[in-house]
Amino acid sequence: MRRIIDTIIEKVIFSCGTLSVIFVILIFSFLFMESFAFFKDFDITKFVTGRYWYPDSEPALFGILSLIVGSFLVTLGACLIAVPVSIMTALYISEVVSKSVRDVLKSLVELMAAIPSVVIGFIGMIVLVPCVRKLFNVPTGLTAFSGSVMLAFMAMPTMVTISEDAIHSVPWQYKEGALALGATKWQTMRRIVLKTARPGIMAAIMLGIGRVVGETMTVMMITGNSSRIPHSIFEPVRTMTAVIAAEMGETVKGSMHYKALFSIGLVLFLITFLINFVADLFLGKNKNK
Amino acid sequence: MVDKIKVDNLSCYYNRKCVLESLNINVIQNEILSIIGPSNSGKTTFLRALNRMNDLDLTYSRRGEVYLDGGSIFDISMEDLRRRIGMLFAMPTPLPMTIYENIVYAPKRLGLISKKSEQDALVERALKDASLWDEVKDRLKSSAMKMSGGQQQRLCIARILAINPEVILFDEPCSGLDPISTVKVEESMIGLKQKYTIVLVTNNVKQASRVSDRTVFFFMGKIVEIGTTDKLFVSPKEKQTEDYITGRFG
Repeated sequence: MRRIIDTIIEKVIFSCGTLSVIFVILIFSFLFMESFAFFKDFDITKFVTGRYWYPDSEPALFGILSLIVGSFLVTLGACLIAVPVSIMTALYISEVVSKSVRDVLKSLVELMAAIPSVVIGFIGMIVLVPCVRKLFNVPTGLTAFSGSVMLAFMAMPTMVTISEDAIHSVPWQYKEGALALGATKWQTMRRIVLKTARPGIMAAIMLGIGRVVGETMTVMMITGNSSRIPHSIFEPVRTMTAVIAAEMGETVKGSMHYKALFSIGLVLFLITFLINFVADLFLGKNKNK
Repeated sequence: MVDKIKVDNLSCYYNRKCVLESLNINVIQNEILSIIGPSNSGKTTFLRALNRMNDLDLTYSRRGEVYLDGGSIFDISMEDLRRRIGMLFAMPTPLPMTIYENIVYAPKRLGLISKKSEQDALVERALKDASLWDEVKDRLKSSAMKMSGGQQQRLCIARILAINPEVILFDEPCSGLDPISTVKVEESMIGLKQKYTIVLVTNNVKQASRVSDRTVFFFMGKIVEIGTTDKLFVSPKEKQTEDYITGRFG
């Protein structure tokens, strides 16, 4: 009997493991098939480098360069804001405050992750967008910058918690060893703590970026949805995710437009895949040291 | 016979609980002073009070004074103090970098050296003084984490020597080491006596008798007896001391 249960559990675990792999392969091949059909009718270089996204004009133009630039700009801005703030927050929580304060702060930060993205978008629309418009004196507050700020908020909980875990797990002896050699607290943090925790912090940043790149609702609400290549961060942009979310419901299944949206999905998938791959390379490199 | 460190009526508390009570002790220049005693008698707390490592613990407080060369250790910055009083921990604490970097880390931070040639010379001298040079001279660029425990401990000694302190505190430096590594660490300790003043906390009574000039016996946060090692081990004045060194309790 025990042996039978054992075999059954083993089988279940095995199928769960393989299922997730199969799903990834299925999703990828589905995306790939639809996009392949699209690229037969529409030149792939024109797709990636085309500046204009006019799916309804005659002839239809499916250029996603402006969308890629939009996604990139918003993500870059969010990272520039979120990464330094997150690392410093993590250092503060882990190294400076006492244990009781640490627990409170950490659960508060984690609570931030539970805010639905539509709520963040809503707050951004009501509070941030008018501020940006007045502060920077631009025609509209629905800009890439607004999107970056709100996305930074969304990425921060992930970045802070995971970096904090990494920093906290740096052995106490390393810090003591450095302090006993006459290093200051800041030198110890920078040279020993941050250095040792670097793989974990990198993983935290990558996961945060993953969340930002894939985020849809917030950017759709506050980046202005204008498919033009922006000249500065204070202009409206449109991201790849927003296009798919906004237009998928309005297309005819099997049409060029429909397939084009899948192709955007494929590009998005490849980008996130690349980010994860780079993160893995980074982690593996540090592990061997 | 110059007093290097003078401890004046020092009491230490954790969470207001007294762990060391009104200690008066002096450490003479260029001697090895051993501190022995059963666990929980405050040996390590005393050692860590000397370079203010205890101050990292927020529940710690103290009363009394400690003087280094006649000046209070509470009047100089922690960084300066720890440069002058180096410390070796019970467990080897190499930093997660190469052997070479481990040694130049602190001198570079403190601005003692800058040129590459100076660094090379310093690394060689420090490793030779810690009798580790021959074993690692061909792999200075490999990670310190890959060394054996005994080598790591001697690397930590070399690292302290590189900042050229005046006093070195050893906190049970051989508790995790095999007999051969222990002998090597003890040899380097005796060699170091020429240049440095050493305070050694040890659970190994024989080690204290082998290396030290004077020995202190701690019990329950108080000094029971202090004297030259020969006298303390041959004819202890207190009954408790005799019982402890002959292994009848503790």
